[in-house]
Amino acid sequence: MIGFHIKKRLNTSSGETQFQFDFEIQKESFTAIYGESGAGKTSLLRMISGLMKPDDGTITYNGKVWFDQKKNIDLPTGQRKVGFVFQDYALFPNMTVLGNLKFALSKSADPVIIDSVIDITDLGELKSKMPDTLSGGQQQRVALARAIVQQPELLLLDEPLSALDTVMQQKLQDYLIKVHKEFKLTTIFVTHDITQIIKMADQVMILESGKVVKAGKPTVIFGQSLSGKFKLSGRVLDIYAEGVINIASILIGKDVIKVVISGTDPLSIGDEVVVASKAFNPIVQKVGE
Amino acid sequence: MNRFKGIIKEIETSGSLSLVKVDVQDTLFSTIIIDTPETLTSLQLGHSVDVIFKESEVALGKEPFQISLQNRVPGNIKKIERNELLSKVELNTAIGMITALITTKAVLDLGLLDGEDATALIKTNEIMLSYD
Repeated sequence: MIGFHIKKRLNTSSGETQFQFDFEIQKESFTAIYGESGAGKTSLLRMISGLMKPDDGTITYNGKVWFDQKKNIDLPTGQRKVGFVFQDYALFPNMTVLGNLKFALSKSADPVIIDSVIDITDLGELKSKMPDTLSGGQQQRVALARAIVQQPELLLLDEPLSALDTVMQQKLQDYLIKVHKEFKLTTIFVTHDITQIIKMADQVMILESGKVVKAGKPTVIFGQSLSGKFKLSGRVLDIYAEGVINIASILIGKDVIKVVISGTDPLSIGDEVVVASKAFNPIVQKVGE
Repeated sequence: MNRFKGIIKEIETSGSLSLVKVDVQDTLFSTIIIDTPETLTSLQLGHSVDVIFKESEVALGKEPFQISLQNRVPGNIKKIERNELLSKVELNTAIGMITALITTKAVLDLGLLDGEDATALIKTNEIMLSYD
């Protein structure tokens, strides 16, 4: 279990902000951190990993103190058993995929971990390739594998999917879930994509200007208790009246769709919404026919 | 949308589908969903749920009729808001106000008027549930 009770004053895009976090995360859980830019998502990960020093407070991991301002304890990143995957994969360009993984292996570790990581992330066929010959999704999969080779207990993901297209995102989500379960990791995932959270996380914490304003099960927090199986999340771009109905334009991924809503639905432009229909309703047609 | 609080009264499961009957103030709604009590813990007898259906999925009829639609709620027309193509009809029923969005031609053909009786009809596959 991670206990995180810290204070930190930081300059963000919205001016100086006082960050104050008090929460605990259970072992082997998959926690999503959701919020607008400047809310403190990345700073939070940096403080957990030891890359940023809090002004005050404590960080504990399974009973071990990682940070305690009063006792002057501040464990370096290397001793915190954390693995990282960022949006920017930053692989060594002059090494093969296997070379990148071997480089990440600590001297005392059993090299057999490399085989099992390659196996789980399906990198077998890409082993001897150079990073610049791989697609973005493949490179990110290598970055994930490289983080796992270091045998972290805590996996920190900072928008690892945001540079990828939708199909790649979905594939990598499946790998993330697989790796999380297989290696019994405690995973903390920063994102601003509700669909990803619903798919992967057991719990979500919503940050607003340096504080956790809401936390709980993703389906409850994002109001996805609807039974409909055709369910997408998006943002309202426009609403206009058309006689007795209103028509809302909603951005879902990169697509804008239109939905008829009633005048009494309390929706405004800019709202994050769930668009749901029953699995019976949509018509599916093969493209090009 | 139309939304009413109810209690799950019956669940009939076959494969991954369930036919669920929900009691909303003594009016029974039936809905078919891709979930079973095994896949969804909230799907249990006695559990409280919201019955949700869109205004555009409500048909209106005048008794007597022979029709396949299972969900029928009789009521009295409170207000009709007519537009060129579509009309919004508000129906006072035993469970509360149900709003229907139907074509203005249908309003004229049926001769629907304020104060008249009409029955709201909703297809079983158009009803969604929301769990507490």
